[in-house]
Amino acid sequence: MDFLAFSSQFLVGLSRAMILFVVCAGLSFVLGVLRVPNIAHGSLYMIGAFATFTLTKFIAGSTGFWIALIVAPLLVALISLIAERALFCHLYQREHLMLLLFTFALSLIVGDLVKIVWGAEYRSVSAPALLRGSLSLFGASLPRYNLFLIIIGPLVAIALWLFTNRTKIGKISRAAAVDREMVGVLGINVSWVFAIAFVLGCYLAGLGGALIAPTVNVTLGMDHSLIIEAFLIVTIGGLGNMWGALVGSLIFGVTQSLGVLIWPQFAIVLPYAAVVIVLLLRPKGLLKSVW
Amino acid sequence: MKAIVNMRRWTLIVAVLGILFILWSTSAQAQRPIKVGVIDTYTGSPAAVFAEDALNGFKLALNEINQKGVLGTKIEFTTRDDKWKVDLGLSLAKELVMRENVDLIVGTINSSLTLAISDYMKEEKVPFIVWISKSEKITGEKGHRYVFSTGENSAMGGKAGATALAKKPYIKYWIAGDDYEYGHAIAEASWRNLKTLKPTVEKIGETWWKTGEPDLVPYYTSIMSAKPDAFIVCGGGATMTNSLKACKTTGMHEKIAVFMHTATDHAVLKPLGLEAPEGIMGTMDYHFYYPDTPANKAFVKAFQDAYGAPPGFPAFHGYNTAYFIAEAFKKAGVIDKEKFIDALEGMVIDSPGGKIEMRACDHQAVLPMYLGVTKKVPQYDFLISSGIVTLAGKDVMPTCEEIMKARGK
Repeated sequence: MDFLAFSSQFLVGLSRAMILFVVCAGLSFVLGVLRVPNIAHGSLYMIGAFATFTLTKFIAGSTGFWIALIVAPLLVALISLIAERALFCHLYQREHLMLLLFTFALSLIVGDLVKIVWGAEYRSVSAPALLRGSLSLFGASLPRYNLFLIIIGPLVAIALWLFTNRTKIGKISRAAAVDREMVGVLGINVSWVFAIAFVLGCYLAGLGGALIAPTVNVTLGMDHSLIIEAFLIVTIGGLGNMWGALVGSLIFGVTQSLGVLIWPQFAIVLPYAAVVIVLLLRPKGLLKSVW
Repeated sequence: MKAIVNMRRWTLIVAVLGILFILWSTSAQAQRPIKVGVIDTYTGSPAAVFAEDALNGFKLALNEINQKGVLGTKIEFTTRDDKWKVDLGLSLAKELVMRENVDLIVGTINSSLTLAISDYMKEEKVPFIVWISKSEKITGEKGHRYVFSTGENSAMGGKAGATALAKKPYIKYWIAGDDYEYGHAIAEASWRNLKTLKPTVEKIGETWWKTGEPDLVPYYTSIMSAKPDAFIVCGGGATMTNSLKACKTTGMHEKIAVFMHTATDHAVLKPLGLEAPEGIMGTMDYHFYYPDTPANKAFVKAFQDAYGAPPGFPAFHGYNTAYFIAEAFKKAGVIDKEKFIDALEGMVIDSPGGKIEMRACDHQAVLPMYLGVTKKVPQYDFLISSGIVTLAGKDVMPTCEEIMKARGK
């Protein structure tokens, strides 16, 4: 096996894993703190991508993309805040099946709304000039944008770690993930903590959507293709565990891209096979689940 | 309280009047309207853009047709959204046949679903006209009396592509695509024809990604490292746009010749604007800028005025489908499913792209294939297909004997 091909493929897989991580960290956070299996998470990711498209259309040139990268996730966060206050906050006590059905219904509604707002045509976002084309890294060729993703991923992970470990809200939300009654007993407004956690999780979905926009076709249905992978990843990582989401994303992204190189006929199966193996060996996920 | 009672009384009166009106209007009409059921993917998949386009073309034609009427009545239609799901689409077909009593069903972009509905329609003996799905099995191996196709298929696209590629010096090929019926069908047809036309070609590998795979860069980098001379991409429209994007990102098209069946489609190229890579080979059966004839210009203008965008190939198919239906009923003289089929077999209509025949032996519309290469031109802010070579429908379609052999007859 050609070592250069292998390493460039590994790096591409790593960059794919980083986008998955950003989205899955958000999903896992919501799962952990709120215990809501949010299928509409994929829809928020789709809105993030579509919003990025619109913003880059309004603001020409590379600046458009950078502004979109900041504004689009915030827009998604705003939408999620409205959804949380209007809908979700009344439903936390329901059983998981109800929540699953509710968020699934929501994802269908959002899918139709996106179609009404943006239409069914294909959309494409161009990467900023700085990140176009490929560069050579120790002889292995890697698209610049993918390198950018490899840098962004760890930054998001660090920011999340700082938030959950170094800020008061973060610590409370972590505590709420473990024992929410106790947090309530201590006189903390749990409803407010939940709102923040939900909005943060959804912000990450929007960020994932904005980040992936330049590498793919922004279209209807991108939510469905992502959400299944995202749920698999948080399951193998350990529900609600953010580092688990990172490990799961790495396993999924890297097996996928290396599978394509080594065993192309069966590449589709490989990430899922990896999931099956992990779940057979560790049914509760690789890292500690908070559920 | 009184207001409510009044309201109720009024509702009752309106309802009774409504029923009387309906009864009166049906008895007054000599002929019942022709009812067409449309099943296609309107949400839940990137394919929605093609489904909408086809429906718009169909509606445009029906507006023209219904002004004069067919058999003294009108053609009506009702739509159903299959969301790209085979099980859902099939149950919608059953609903349209059993509850809505449609005279025929048209539509479907998902080839797997098309084949499922086709089987059902064969049992029920109700005509089914396919306007986008491109698997050659529809009118080939799995064809039967009740199924028709008004669009080109993978056998035609594959042969057209193979004809172009056979003339080039490439030997080592890599084939990749969407892992579903259509992707495999176009791959099989391209390779089968290429191997026949030029036996020295060699397939060094294949890659299949799941339909709707968003990020193709990992696949492209691995294929590039295998260093083929040429690369054939087989997939639906969204995959085409993604593939062009991945070409641009990885620079693949600068090193390796790339053929993508429908890369020259407007719906695929337009989103990328001037960012789309040049020099990608593709085949289509219709462009709004080609053929450059008065009939096509008139159709494009009417479509543009009605829907604010130029028609794509699905709109062209949808438009032709409506005319095939209208003309066939006129020829049949009555609303009857079997007579409709007899009339439609071998029928020729004047389409915006020229005369089109519905071949009697396999129920496949005879369409030419336009082979071109993506190119920037000054008059548009997106790439178009250039250097178009036209291959006549009869030259790219399997012969009637081949079709009968495939059907095991």
